[in-house]
Amino acid sequence: MSYTQIGRYQVHYQLVGEPGNPVITFLNGLTQNANLWKSYADHFVPRGYRVLAYDMLGQGRSSKPILDIKLADHPATLDALLGHLEIDKTHLAGISFGGTIALDFAIRYGKRLHSLIAMSTMPELTPQLEFLGAVMLQGLTDVGLPFLQAMLYPMNMSSAWIAANRDKIPEMKRAGYIGNDPYAMQNLMESFVEFKPLTPRLHEIEVPTLIMNGEFDFFTPRESHEVIRREVRNSRLLIIQRAYHAYTLEMPEVTMRQIEVFLDQVADGTWRGDQSVWIAAEDPGAEVQWLPFEGDWMRAIPVPAAAAAKGVPRVASAGKKAAKEAKK
Amino acid sequence: MIAPELYDRARDTISAKGFAPEIQTKIAILLTAAKNVNAMVLSSAEVQPFFTVAHQFIHSQYFREVEAVALLARVTRWAGNPLLYAEGTTVVAPLWAEGWRVVLPPGPLLDPRAAYSGLALGHALLARIRLAPVIPAKTDPLDPFAVALLRIEQDNGRMLQTQIRLLKETGGDVPLAEREALVEQKQEAVDTVFTRFLEWLAA
Repeated sequence: MSYTQIGRYQVHYQLVGEPGNPVITFLNGLTQNANLWKSYADHFVPRGYRVLAYDMLGQGRSSKPILDIKLADHPATLDALLGHLEIDKTHLAGISFGGTIALDFAIRYGKRLHSLIAMSTMPELTPQLEFLGAVMLQGLTDVGLPFLQAMLYPMNMSSAWIAANRDKIPEMKRAGYIGNDPYAMQNLMESFVEFKPLTPRLHEIEVPTLIMNGEFDFFTPRESHEVIRREVRNSRLLIIQRAYHAYTLEMPEVTMRQIEVFLDQVADGTWRGDQSVWIAAEDPGAEVQWLPFEGDWMRAIPVPAAAAAKGVPRVASAGKKAAKEAKK
Repeated sequence: MIAPELYDRARDTISAKGFAPEIQTKIAILLTAAKNVNAMVLSSAEVQPFFTVAHQFIHSQYFREVEAVALLARVTRWAGNPLLYAEGTTVVAPLWAEGWRVVLPPGPLLDPRAAYSGLALGHALLARIRLAPVIPAKTDPLDPFAVALLRIEQDNGRMLQTQIRLLKETGGDVPLAEREALVEQKQEAVDTVFTRFLEWLAA
């Protein structure tokens, strides 16, 4: 890992892979860090990519703003980091908080992108998210970081994962506790007070955009991703089966496979951003990875698309087109 | 950021020795110094109850810091080795030096810059000295000393809100970067002490 100084911030980053190869940049979520993308680097570097990951400001070993940070500082820092590393363009993938930053970056610095992958994220605070964020902040300030960590595990991960990792969780929490300063986390969360919805500007995103949403993600639910699908014309929404919020950690093989399929499509020119909705195969080894979504993707029970609620614009022919594509 | 390996080494030592009097004494020496230094700085505001609306928060924190020291004094099984206390004094001396720099005349009461500096030092003391990660996983959850450490750490997080709010919202015309640099400077001073402490604890 290396450090560089960007303005008043020190950024801790890792760039691996052969110079000249296309770059994928990964942005982490709250309480995470760049190390969590190591398996992604191990996967993509042998496939001809360079992988850039860095601790987002306020986290890991990057600078932890002591009194204040603006949300706009994050995309500006990424822009400067790419400049420092002489990377003209990158594919950009971000999860959760990192996904929001990735969307913001795509709006502000879209010319620096080959493509965008927005995972488990939101372009605006729905009332649910606003209330949830307030509770998380209150938990952090009134009870402490261990409370927030304890709250995030069941919000991020499935019961199966928690059951399988029950013995390891205390050590994971301890590592997270050491690596995160509560005041810095508080600054990041409080920066959302001035957060202006990105939705009105999402239409400015022109690069191929893959939106990935866990089937059971109740933290950033379908409606948050639907807004992105609706507003970004060159997009597709891909639903990760049985996944919760942090499938990048819980189901890395499935996630990497979906990203790989997307990047291959972008590279060979077969990508079609038609705002259609797809389901990711559960088996990363399956021949067909994206299956067309039939019915109403906004519902948790099978409802035909025609019965979908009024006021939610849909791409009428997306389902049929998708079915034809899958057959091909 | 304090190197995770330092926490690991300190925890390994405690795992091997348990919360022996020597271990407890080392921890209590550090924490009582941190609490007393912050209390000393806060005490400057004790004579100005009607001078600022922040007084009630500072007043409350002052007494909670004193309570934490009393709690530690009560639950600690103090070691009998005088050398330990001499070593401890050298470890925590820089914290006292930082505190004295703030309170020396004109001091926080008369000098807004000293008052801001005192808040910055309080921020560093409450935010950077964190001992929960050195408590071994298998520690008896009812161990009085471990319970006291966790309670103090949780209370630190709550008390820190006073410093956070005042540092954000006061400071006059001093630019943000300059104010952050001041807090960072205090953090570095505290980190240096805490790093040395963790090495001492692991020895």
